[in-house]
Amino acid sequence: MKRPALFLALAAGVLVTGCLGSEGIDVTEARVGAPTGPNAALYFTASNDGDEPDVLIGVSTDVAGTVELHETTHGDDGTMGMRPVTSLDLPAGETLTLEPGGLHVMLIDVEPLEEGDRITVTLHWQSAGEMGVETEVVSPADTMGHGDG
Amino acid sequence: MPHSSSAPRLRLTALVAAVVIVVAGCAGDLATGDLQGVVIEDPTPKPSFTLTDTQGEPYEFASETEGRLTLLYFGYLNCPDICPVHLAQIAEVFDRDPQIARETDVVFVSVDPDRDSPAEIREFLDRFDTEFIGLTGTRQELDAAQTAAGVSKAVLVGEGEDYTVDHAGQVIAYGPDGLNHAIYPFGVRQSEWANDLAILAGIEG
Repeated sequence: MKRPALFLALAAGVLVTGCLGSEGIDVTEARVGAPTGPNAALYFTASNDGDEPDVLIGVSTDVAGTVELHETTHGDDGTMGMRPVTSLDLPAGETLTLEPGGLHVMLIDVEPLEEGDRITVTLHWQSAGEMGVETEVVSPADTMGHGDG
Repeated sequence: MPHSSSAPRLRLTALVAAVVIVVAGCAGDLATGDLQGVVIEDPTPKPSFTLTDTQGEPYEFASETEGRLTLLYFGYLNCPDICPVHLAQIAEVFDRDPQIARETDVVFVSVDPDRDSPAEIREFLDRFDTEFIGLTGTRQELDAAQTAAGVSKAVLVGEGEDYTVDHAGQVIAYGPDGLNHAIYPFGVRQSEWANDLAILAGIEG
């Protein structure tokens, strides 16, 4: 008798977490730099106002062949590079900022996109599940976020 | 405490202003104090290296850009994050200040010769500014150019076709005097570029 109850409790827990997560995560400032080569970068800010942590485990979109989460590295000698990361944590009450020089979603083999185009990307959260986000294609200069670009 | 009359004070102010203008006019390095980039205390000479431009012609960096404000940057075309932002920022500053655009050479060196052909480099740069100069070369030539420019050599990371390139993240600025007065790590704002390019362009060659 105990097992079904535990299963039920787990299922309920997952459901509840899912609800809280999708209510608690707010994505703003989504933007894609107009591609200047085979790749483009997507940036956004995600804040978790819920009580549960969540994890961004992937991003998908129809306009790119492959999508990866990347972290830009800064060497002591001034070199910069990028490394794939498998997931990005978003603790409860915190904000995850993807911006040039930090974290980005790399759209590999991206379709030709022009400034002003709007595309839809799907963020895959471990708890909140899928979240569709509409984002505008902007000049790479305007991906810098706050300030004058 | 007695107040001085306003007339002498005005004259004194005018005198101080005149002296400041004269001093600033004589010594170019006073103006460079207002640079917002990373200022090089002992400016180093523009390096000499020869690469190939997007027309397939040899391009000797120091002589081709002699007497011109010059921005030098090493990057690659598959780079989605750092390279396009740097170049787009400069292009937008140029759009707003055509005179600075005319006085400045922007030289982009691709450090990914296996993937970036001269034609592709041209197409890439044209998305920012058709006047931007694109260079490439053999890996050996590119290594020599990076060493001459005082930056770390680019390194390929990863395997297969999807490798990435670790490369110098800073734009190197040379005044019309042929000296490297400042560098611009990633994150420079357009207002900082506008401020600094105006100062750098005014350094007498």
